[in-house]
Amino acid sequence: MIVRIGDNIISALGFTTDENYSAVKSGRSGLRLYDSCMDAPEPFIASLIDKERLNDEFSRTDFPSFQNLESLNLESLTVLEKASILSVLSANKEAQIDLANPRVLFIFSSTKGNVEQLTMNNEQLTMREDKNCSLSIVNYSLYLWQSAQLIVNYFKNPNTPILVSNACISGACAQIAAMRELESGAYDYAVVIGADMLSKFIISGFQSFKALSPEPCRPFNANRTGLNLGEAAATIIYANGASYGGGLRVGARNAMTLVGGAIRNDANHISGPSRTGEGSYRALRSILQDVTPDEIAFINAHGTATPYNDNMEAIAIARAGMDAVPVNSLKGCFGHTLGAAGVLESIVSMHALLDDTILPTRGFENKADDCSLTIVNQMMPTKKSYFIKMLSGFGGCNAALLFNKTE
Amino acid sequence: MDELILKLKGEIIEVLNLEDLQPEDIADDAPLFGEGLGLDSIDALELIVLLEKNYGIKLTDPAQGREIFQSIRVLADYIQANRKK
Amino acid sequence: MNLYIKTYRHLINPSPMIDGKEYLTSVYRSLGIDYPKFFKMDNLSKLGFLASELIFKDDPSRFVPREDLAVIGFNRSASLEADTAYQATIQDNKNYFPSPAAFVYTLPNIVTGEIAIRNKFYGETSFYISEQFDAEQIFRTVNHAFQDKKTRSVLAAWIESFDGTQEVFMMLVETETSEIPFSIKQINKIMNN
Repeated sequence: MIVRIGDNIISALGFTTDENYSAVKSGRSGLRLYDSCMDAPEPFIASLIDKERLNDEFSRTDFPSFQNLESLNLESLTVLEKASILSVLSANKEAQIDLANPRVLFIFSSTKGNVEQLTMNNEQLTMREDKNCSLSIVNYSLYLWQSAQLIVNYFKNPNTPILVSNACISGACAQIAAMRELESGAYDYAVVIGADMLSKFIISGFQSFKALSPEPCRPFNANRTGLNLGEAAATIIYANGASYGGGLRVGARNAMTLVGGAIRNDANHISGPSRTGEGSYRALRSILQDVTPDEIAFINAHGTATPYNDNMEAIAIARAGMDAVPVNSLKGCFGHTLGAAGVLESIVSMHALLDDTILPTRGFENKADDCSLTIVNQMMPTKKSYFIKMLSGFGGCNAALLFNKTE
Repeated sequence: MDELILKLKGEIIEVLNLEDLQPEDIADDAPLFGEGLGLDSIDALELIVLLEKNYGIKLTDPAQGREIFQSIRVLADYIQANRKK
Repeated sequence: MNLYIKTYRHLINPSPMIDGKEYLTSVYRSLGIDYPKFFKMDNLSKLGFLASELIFKDDPSRFVPREDLAVIGFNRSASLEADTAYQATIQDNKNYFPSPAAFVYTLPNIVTGEIAIRNKFYGETSFYISEQFDAEQIFRTVNHAFQDKKTRSVLAAWIESFDGTQEVFMMLVETETSEIPFSIKQINKIMNN
């Protein structure tokens, strides 16, 4: 069991958790139509971070140590790295821990990192086509570990960061890694960052899968038309529950804990979700060892709004005996934020539960015939103290996390 | 038409990496998906790219593919009738 | 918890002069198996797949679905090789044909999925990136994976395919006692052998 002691979200809906949570609660969405953006040949709907505000806020950070870091050229930081640093700084305003302490471990989750920097000149392209040779990397920011290391250097943390890249469930894997590291006693605190930015690379890939919706997405809806993508950086700072002195600084009441988590594979197909919801069902079954369905306030599903994903989740949740548990999806507010999704959506759901609230599924109106679930379509109060976060990704991977509000 | 069928078989073997198959191994009327060549959903999407790249045919709805990708012969007929290059 | 390395395999393309695809195909042919999906994989997946075939080929209970085995991969360059191949399909807006078959491999964890699909492994699959081969991190991560109550075995692999390097070091780590204890020293010893 690990305790949340601080968090932050940077997305189209704001630069703090409060800004994001109130925006969602008041029914707003970050999704907009973009045309001729990021050199993508076709228009797309997405939820993009305000880069001007990001640069402005970043330039106003007065973190004292960066001037001493010769290895860190702040000018050269990418949007992904700046957003991640800002997110950690904001989360630590609440947590107030010494991020440079060796008892603090950074865990970074990203699906595609700085992949937008991967462009080739014609000569390199010709070489590739000629003899299948690989591109020599001159730009080190293409390496995910380099981004993670830069972020850790910024905070002068001495530990090698853990870097998870497990497709769209990365943000859940990072939290499970945090739980394992803290529960083993290796560290006292874990700073879990999930971040992904959009680029032509990612947008074109999802377009090639015919997965992007031409309208704002409609999770679990009849005739849903696919997903929208989104950008975010989100951070949760966790403390070891056992050694944290009963929630000393969080206050004895209303602390959120991550109780358990499981990752399971469909063993079926690298891109198509299982028709029996196999991996997702097994992940849910694993965390249901610690709780009964009637104790669960809600399930925050992956709910990407692709026909196959939502159908798969509906089957998995029903198989796990949770048809009656309210289910929501946040993709209609933030889009699918890839490696950030697991962190971002866990934070919003934690704050909803702390607020005794179940958030509605933006974009959902009429339930699909193939869905026996209880999809939340308007805000509801709750007195229950658990929620489940679900995620699924390419490679057949699925994750489920169980959170609890301790009173 | 026979020429197009043979050309298509070669293209499909190449883009779908059907390494151990020769064009003569693919029957003109054998189903491409399921039991036939055992192609999957990614292969179907890749065939959509092939249609656009080599024949200028743009399929917007992947469901259309189900009709067109029944067999090499059905696919060749469709290309013959709709090709733009 | 005492853990043991039940078995391991280490494959390296012996020379930068040997084309990666040719090398991997030759290993595949030497196995005498029929798995056409192999040829659709990117090099990273092929490497992991081949090492796992070598590890499980003589296992009498193979292909029986199991949830007690986790597949955990590690490497330095994530999916940069596949990323480069996909980038080539979208680089030029005048010749813009994004390839879904190339895009799907632009994730390092796909190799763990390929192994899970082949063997019917329903357990955990994860992928971690580090600056270099880090026996300490592999040791710790594999140990932690046993915190999942279901997990009894971990198939752990360092798999790198980029910039002229092709290497996979894969080991099957179990709770059941066998000759090689699972330790940082042993991981380094086998890797550098």
